[in-house]
Amino acid sequence: MSAPSPTAAQRSVLAGLADVLIAEGCGMPAASRVGVAGELLDRCLEAAPVLAAPLLALLDEAPSDAADAYVRCLAADRPDDFAVLSTVVVGAYYLSPQVRDLIGYPGQEPSPLTVAAEPDYLDMLERVYERHPGYREAP
Amino acid sequence: MRPDLERQAAPASGENSVADVLIVGSGASGSVAAARLAGAGFRVICLEQGDWVHTADYMSATPEAELAWVQRWNPDPVARRNPADYPLTGEADVRPVMYNGVGGGLVQWAAMWQPLLASDFKVRSLDGVADDWPITWAELADQYGRVARDLSVSGLADDPALPEMAAYPNPPVPIGKVGMAAARGMDRLGWHWWPGANAIASRRHGALQACQRRGTCMTGCPENAKATPSLTHWPRALAAGARLVTGARVAEIPLDDRGRAIGAAYLDSDGVEHLQRARVVVLAANAVGTARLLLLSASARFPDGLANSSGLVGRRLMQHPYRTVTAVCEESLESWQGPWGQNIYSLQFAETHPDRDFVRGAKWMVMPHGGPMFAVGEYHDAHRLAGFEALWGENFHRAAAEVFGHAFAWGIQAEDLPEEHNRVILDDEVCDSSGLPAARIEYRLSENARRMLDFNVARAVEAAEAAGATSVMVRGLWPTGIGHVLGTTRMGDDPATSVVDRWCRSHDVPNLYVIDGGVFVTGGSANPTATIMANALRVTEHMIDERSSQEVPL
Ligand SMILES: Cc1cc2nc3c(=O)[nH]c(=O)nc-3n(C[C@H](O)[C@H](O)[C@H](O)COP(=O)(O)OP(=O)(O)OC[C@H]3O[C@@H](n4cnc5c(N)ncnc54)[C@H](O)[C@@H]3O)c2cc1C
Ligand code: SF4
Repeated sequence: MSAPSPTAAQRSVLAGLADVLIAEGCGMPAASRVGVAGELLDRCLEAAPVLAAPLLALLDEAPSDAADAYVRCLAADRPDDFAVLSTVVVGAYYLSPQVRDLIGYPGQEPSPLTVAAEPDYLDMLERVYERHPGYREAP
Repeated sequence: MRPDLERQAAPASGENSVADVLIVGSGASGSVAAARLAGAGFRVICLEQGDWVHTADYMSATPEAELAWVQRWNPDPVARRNPADYPLTGEADVRPVMYNGVGGGLVQWAAMWQPLLASDFKVRSLDGVADDWPITWAELADQYGRVARDLSVSGLADDPALPEMAAYPNPPVPIGKVGMAAARGMDRLGWHWWPGANAIASRRHGALQACQRRGTCMTGCPENAKATPSLTHWPRALAAGARLVTGARVAEIPLDDRGRAIGAAYLDSDGVEHLQRARVVVLAANAVGTARLLLLSASARFPDGLANSSGLVGRRLMQHPYRTVTAVCEESLESWQGPWGQNIYSLQFAETHPDRDFVRGAKWMVMPHGGPMFAVGEYHDAHRLAGFEALWGENFHRAAAEVFGHAFAWGIQAEDLPEEHNRVILDDEVCDSSGLPAARIEYRLSENARRMLDFNVARAVEAAEAAGATSVMVRGLWPTGIGHVLGTTRMGDDPATSVVDRWCRSHDVPNLYVIDGGVFVTGGSANPTATIMANALRVTEHMIDERSSQEVPL
């Protein structure tokens, strides 16, 4: 059975928690700024439905005014719950086209493979051949 | 639960009443046998518990490709939770991963193609440990070449660490920036390396299209460039008249009064019981699934499990315990690009050496490092002791900038010698979706394997540094394995110490064969599928040649 879609309140809690994990800096936007709690969250949960129920439970439990302390507490004491939260946040963050652009990641896109007639490792391979004693024979 | 053989559902329309050969499992070994037998005119039926996997089912061509690992295309059945998966229970140091569906493990494999070493077949004679295989490398040489052609393997033969073998049908895939960086390190150290052979087409060949470097090989190739039986073997087998029944979970191999297998009792996905009769039964359900099925098939004649007079069914499980050493480099290696097979490999430390405190050795292979989610995940795992501040908040971006696109991994795959306490048994409590007991895995890493891993990891750190790594990330033993399951129905000449003979026929049941990775006597350190498929071909052709003398039920 699939978990219900997150409510507006749950999304707003997630946005706060997400920014503790991925803050603005080094020329990169904070998680909430790229929509980690919006459409990207839906795509992430659709891709990995197993994350939905435990995530929603965390969002219901998290205090609305102490995101930082709550996330640190998960990281320190509740590794499974922290793994759910961080997988969702990091997974959704890297779905963002803006983020991909900034880090120079085109996605797992096709790019034709070119087989060179004379690969540039041939001289190194020649040396492997020269120094190798030959395989170990068996009876 | 055991199906009631007296109360079988009528055969589905078109079902052969008695097949010449019934194969359980449609993966690496089962598909080889089905294509060869059907091509030789045998009436073949294959029962597969999972479903067909179509190229369109993969998430690999979507932006969510990396998230496919989390659940839907996680190679660990425990995380994936498909109805066709059976639970794997137990507290093992390494727990197997696999895919249950048409093609078996080759749906998700990395397609690294690696014949065993010549010495792997004779470790008792050479090194005084474990046991010799009843066959030699030379007895598989021809089949290695033919199976490589069927799978459109791309690689460079003539590796001096291996006996002479046939040229691969395609040139190696380019080793890329990742492979070049690693190879330079090995060159500096004077260590063995070789361009990786992969069952990935470097150009259009046979059933495969040319690889498009998506790097999503292990969550399913969306370009039909990676060999998998639904492309390379099943079309041929089906065209020659084989039948493949999906959603058919075999629960028992029943016997006649004289102790011959009469076929297979299976449950379809609605839970309806069937009995498919056959003259010969071939088990190709992998070293976990076949052992489980033989144990499920215990009877008054075989109280400890079918074909288990030796007591070895399920025992001697080998898994190639695995660790990784990741080199992080200054320059961009574009290391999200595929293929995610092996760019290069090394057999420098694969043989026994008198100066080391362990016997046998490990194979190494270089792989790319995935997209940002994978790269950052590994960074965090390696630096988890650095504390929250160092990894999250603003610093999250520093880690990502350092590692994403800049890393490659040396995978260290160790030979674990067979030990009888490492085994597959039936779980007393947990059942699969058909009500059949789960497979319980008992596996402890041996001292020999631990030392072997420690030694090789230390050397791989040197190799990473020689490749110019600015930092190195070392991971401990992978608790979910790498999909290599071997040894639980070993072959041998002596019925007291082996389950099947040199032709992979049960010593106890004359018309029962096992052709999957369970028959390995020792595991070597090579990725096993080249040998599994070559051996399946060898055994199948012997079966065909000896058809007139095959004992069958009345
Ligand atoms: C993620 C991953 C990466 C890998 N990478 C590589 C690699 O790069 N190189 C390499 O050499 N190997 C690799 N492997 C290993 C490779 O997949 C296996 O060696 C190979 O698939 C084993 O072949 P097999 O015939 O023994 O069984 P499988 O291919 O596992 O097939 C067994 C089939 O039997 C079916 N089955 C089991 N029980 C029953 C039952 N009771 N009733 C009906 N059907 C049943 C299963 O559903 C399955 O489809 C990898 C594996 C994984 C999971
Ligand atoms: S890298 Fe090649 S083989 Fe791997 S998924 Fe992409 S196209 Fe397929």
